[in-house]
This record gives sequence, structure tokens and C-alpha cells, in this order.
Amino acid sequence: MNHPVPLTFVAPIAALVRGEAGLVDEIVRDADRHEMARQVAVIIVGAGLFGAAMGAWRSPTQALYTAVKFPLIVLLTTLANALLNALLAPQLGLDLRLRQTLAAVLTSFAIASLILGSLSPVMLFLVWSAPVVVEKVRSASLGFELVQLTGVAAIAFAGLAGNARMLQSLRRLGGSETVAWRIMIAWLAGNLFLGAQLAWNLRPFIGAPELPVEFLRPNAFSGNFYETVFASLARFLTN
Amino acid sequence: MNESIPPSPAAPVPPKLTPTPDASAPLGADAAERAPIRGIVAAIEAVLREPRRVLFNLSQPGSGAITAALLVIAAVCALVYGVVVGTFSGGTQLWAAPVKIAGGLLVSALICLPSLFIFACLGGSTARLGEVFGLLAGKLALTTILLIGFAPVAWVFSQSTESLGWMGVLHLAFWGIAALFGLRFMHAGFGQLVRSGAGVKVWTVIYLLVALQMTTALRPILGRADTFLPAEKKFFLAHWFDTLDKAAKAEPYRQR
Repeated sequence: MNHPVPLTFVAPIAALVRGEAGLVDEIVRDADRHEMARQVAVIIVGAGLFGAAMGAWRSPTQALYTAVKFPLIVLLTTLANALLNALLAPQLGLDLRLRQTLAAVLTSFAIASLILGSLSPVMLFLVWSAPVVVEKVRSASLGFELVQLTGVAAIAFAGLAGNARMLQSLRRLGGSETVAWRIMIAWLAGNLFLGAQLAWNLRPFIGAPELPVEFLRPNAFSGNFYETVFASLARFLTN
Repeated sequence: MNESIPPSPAAPVPPKLTPTPDASAPLGADAAERAPIRGIVAAIEAVLREPRRVLFNLSQPGSGAITAALLVIAAVCALVYGVVVGTFSGGTQLWAAPVKIAGGLLVSALICLPSLFIFACLGGSTARLGEVFGLLAGKLALTTILLIGFAPVAWVFSQSTESLGWMGVLHLAFWGIAALFGLRFMHAGFGQLVRSGAGVKVWTVIYLLVALQMTTALRPILGRADTFLPAEKKFFLAHWFDTLDKAAKAEPYRQR
């Protein structure tokens, strides 16, 4: 069953998800502008479809907002951390240029977005069959929580798969398991740190049933994710 | 009683059964596996008796005809089993249950097809989208053919009991067993295609959850209701618990 993959529009997507050594390493090494534009397009479509499916639970407007905000978080995180990632890589043992680190991170996010995009029909079906806002508050809240948990699980799985492919590529490019792990953990920590904050700024994504549908919450830029977590933790410990 | 029976000079030799092919051998290694499959009846025979022949044919270019045949088999068998399910309540359920079962099975598969393709690629699969679709169609065909095997038993029970809960559990058990064999067929196909089966295993969990939720989203499939689709949205576990709770409290009834 070792047959060549025919050249259709599906083939490059499949090769990317498979993490084919030649393809992924070439993307990172060459950091070709057109290839990077393609990764950005994959992120916009894949993450956008999943975002739309999640937001559809609340309303069509929320679906549109989340379809825009999901890829935005990914792309803003990638761009804002690009310089830091490029500075860290040589320090940790792999001499990658700025564009190469950008290509590596974009490839990892593109794979994650493809997984999310492929799960968007499942999410849409879940949203369609979940209790909606107009029904009883208790069941609507249950629907919100289920959509939220499913979304988090899908994003976590997609993120893991994307990073696993990036690790394989870093291992091949650097020739060292230790260096590859160091770089991936450093990049991941930076991306998670900033990504969590951007997600907090750009909330809501599903839309709590008791709150209005909005692109951004009125207090989007007052406070930050970590302050909120710290305040919640303090309240929990003092009560 | 000490008389010994004289040995027969020419004892008849029982005919040899076809040996089970080695699962680790590459598909098409045996000439019989390379024989083309033409028509619905041949596809039913092959999916039941020669799964490796189906898998080999699905991997060849132009496998669309076999995929179409498998989908037709799945649709027809699901409709037939649906009629048996509908006999429990009768009336409009005689046509509503088959439509919901056949439609639900096919829509569940279509919803999960993109993720199956991507998750198979995660495991290193080089299969075309059409080939993955063919494997899914084969899984549906085998599942529904086996459901036909359960249909007479299901019919006997549906004519003997009034309990909605009991019939629900019975149909789910039959579907579960049939789906297990269908998934085994599909996993055998992916076994030849992927380096790691983890992605397809994760997908299996997603598919089973979607299929179970579909039974609740399209309810009532077994009992009766005023509307074709439910007015209230529920998750399948909540629906099962509610139904079993009602069945435990009330007299046996046929209304949802």
C-alpha cells in the first residue's frame, strides 16, 4: 500500500500533518515567503472554522466574531514572540534565523489548525445538539460548559500534535534530542504565556449565556489573565 | 465390546478450508485478494468473507465504484433494520425510524470523515481521501449487514415487550456489537497504512460519541412523539438517564 500521493490540494495538507521530514524541514530551512503565506492561510481557515463552530452555540454573530478572533490569537502570538524565539534558539544550541523560527512556529500552528478544522463538523454537531441559551438556564449553562470543555480538549490535542511535529523537525535540523527539547520548551512557554493573555483580552469565544454577544468585553484591556487567576486563587484560599 | 472396528481402507478426507491469510502480509500478496469486486452482492460477500480483498481494492485507483456499492449496502441495510426498530411503536415510526437510522449513520460518518483523514495522517497514513472514505464506507456496510443478522431477534423482542428502556438497551447492544466488528475492519485497513494507530484510536472515541449523540438528537427513534425531531435538546447520557428513570417509575409504556 506504499503508493505515491496524487498531487491534489489535499496532498500538501496530508503531507504537513504526517510531518514528512523532507517537507517540514524544507519549510523551516528555506523559510520561503510563499510557503509561510500558505501556512498563514491554513491557520486562518482551520482555526477560523473551529472558532465559528464554537461561537455558533451562542449566536451567528458570535460565530463570526470567534472565527476572526481564533486565528488572530494564533497569528498575534506567533508575531509577538518571533523575535524572542529567534534570540533563544541559538542560545539553546540551534542556529536558526528569525524567518526560520517564524516558519517553524507557523508550521506547528498550521498543523494544529488543520486538526481543529477537521474537528469543526464534530464541534458544529455538538453545538447543534447542545441545549441552547433560549432554553432553561440550567441546561443552557450545561451546554456552555460542554462546548467549552470539548473546545479546550480539542485545542489541547491539536496543540500537542503540532508541537510533536515541531519537535521532530527540530531534532532532525539540530541533530540533538536535548537541544530540540530545550528549544521546544522555551518556545512553548513563551507562546503559552502570551497566548493565555491574548485569549483573555480577546474573550468571549463561546459567550456566557447570561452576558451579551460582543466582539470584546468592556473590560478587555483592564487587568490581565494572571492577575485574574491570582485574585481567584486568593479568594479561594481566604474564604 | 472388545470387537475392534476395522479401519476403512479409504477414509474420506474432509475438504480443506481456506486458510486465514496472514494479517501482517502486504495486501494483494495473495492473488485472490487482487480479484476485482463488481456489484453489490459481490461487495457483501467480500466484506463478510474476504475483508483483505476489499481493503486491497479500496487502495487501488478508481475505487469509487466499490465505495459507492458499500454505501448503498449500508443505506439499504440500515433502512431494513430501521423498519424492524419501527415495528415496536408502529404507525409513523415504520417510516420515521428507518429514515432516522440510515440518515443518522451516514451523517455521523460524514461529520467524522475530515477528522478521520487528518488523524490517520497524524499516524503517518499516505492514503488518499477517497481511500479513507472507502474504509469508512466498508465499516458502515459491515456494521449494518451485521445489524440485519440481529434483526429477527430484535423483532421477536419488539413484539414481546412493552418496555421502551429494555428495547433501547437491546438495540444499543446490537449496534455496539456490530460497530465493534465494523471498526475492526476499518482498523485492519489502517493497520496497513499508518505507522502509529493512536490517531485512529482517538478518532474512534470521537466517532462513537458522535454516533451516540446522534441517537439522542434524532429521537424518538424507538418510541412515539408528536414531532419528527425533538423540541428539547439534550445530551445522550441525560436522555438515557431520564428514559431509564421514567421506565423505572412508570408502568411499561410506549410513549417517550
